[in-house]
Amino acid sequence: MDNQIIYLIYILSFVIGSIIGLVLSYKKYTEPFIKKNIDMVALILAIIGWILVLNNPLFMVIPYYITITIGVFLIALVIGMRPGYGRYETVIGFSVAGIIWIIRMGLT
Amino acid sequence: MNLMADILLNVIIAFLVGSVLFGLQRKIMARIQMRPGPPIIQHLLHTFKFFIKESAFPKTAAMPFYIAITAMLCAIWVAAVIVGPVTEGSLLLFFAIYALHKIVEHNAGSSSGSPYGKMSCVRAVFSAAAELPLFAVLIIIYLKTGTMNIGNIVTYQGHYGPLIWGIPLAAMMFFVLILSKAPYSPFAITKGKDIISGYETEHFGLLRGYLMISESIAWYMLLWVFLTVFIGGLSPIGYLIGMVLISALVALINATTPILNPNHSIMVQVSLAFIGVLGSIILLTVY
Repeated sequence: MDNQIIYLIYILSFVIGSIIGLVLSYKKYTEPFIKKNIDMVALILAIIGWILVLNNPLFMVIPYYITITIGVFLIALVIGMRPGYGRYETVIGFSVAGIIWIIRMGLT
Repeated sequence: MNLMADILLNVIIAFLVGSVLFGLQRKIMARIQMRPGPPIIQHLLHTFKFFIKESAFPKTAAMPFYIAITAMLCAIWVAAVIVGPVTEGSLLLFFAIYALHKIVEHNAGSSSGSPYGKMSCVRAVFSAAAELPLFAVLIIIYLKTGTMNIGNIVTYQGHYGPLIWGIPLAAMMFFVLILSKAPYSPFAITKGKDIISGYETEHFGLLRGYLMISESIAWYMLLWVFLTVFIGGLSPIGYLIGMVLISALVALINATTPILNPNHSIMVQVSLAFIGVLGSIILLTVY
């Protein structure tokens, strides 16, 4: 597939993910970000999303553009949550995926 | 790929990335100012929102110019995408498009009949004086590389390294130009909050949507040209990182500086340009 089309798909995936994340988080949370709790569902989504994006060669069976598109969508779901929410989850998700990436680079 | 498909693809990418970068910029500005800030998708949602809002036309508007000007703004930035990422044409054409942008900005302000629009229109002419050094950037690039073709400039950088090291002051002048196009920037006198939304004040609904699309494409294109001309042929990820970094830097400057008085804004830009032109000539002579 042409590279530019792939990048457009990633961008669309990010935009759609952000919009869905925003809508769902406003339904889930009726108050502003005061309690500063970590949302377990968002945390799992963020970890899976970042792993799919940063470590897509691990999933050799699936073409890389599909893995990254799904990953970007999941990342956007969490980043796109209403202001304040999803912040800690994103940092944790990125850190976990980053550690796996470093280990992977060290092994290869 | 078919040329039309290539253009369409690049325009959609430019619009979406430009919108998200504007949203990111607002988010960073908000965080610096200790506010939660809007979601980074907010600017894009605003743009879409205007397409489903009612369009109203002021009685004082100069029809059909008032409507046509929004289409013109969109058309010139689509042309910029064609000159830039699609064909990698001449830098001279890109700067011609930028000059047209100033004229369109001026006319959008005057066509509505609003006093705020007219004030913005006067400021657009006023600020154009500060953007003349932009052509000096072009000449400096030409003197350094011997070409104005974007493709050839990228090839030149492949051999001799990024131009930002060779002509840093020209890059600084171009960065000031980028800064002047950002919302809430110290040089954004045509859209200063003292004149509401400047030349956009009386454009509502669909027309405002077109203006916002054009602005997003313009932001993407300015960053694209900066990265391509001064850093060289980057990978798409490289472009994305570069654009995010420049947007973040611009957000930092915007969040910490007030919008300058028009006289001061022009004087600062002219002073920076004077230093840039003189310094670049000295650097070119020495090396």
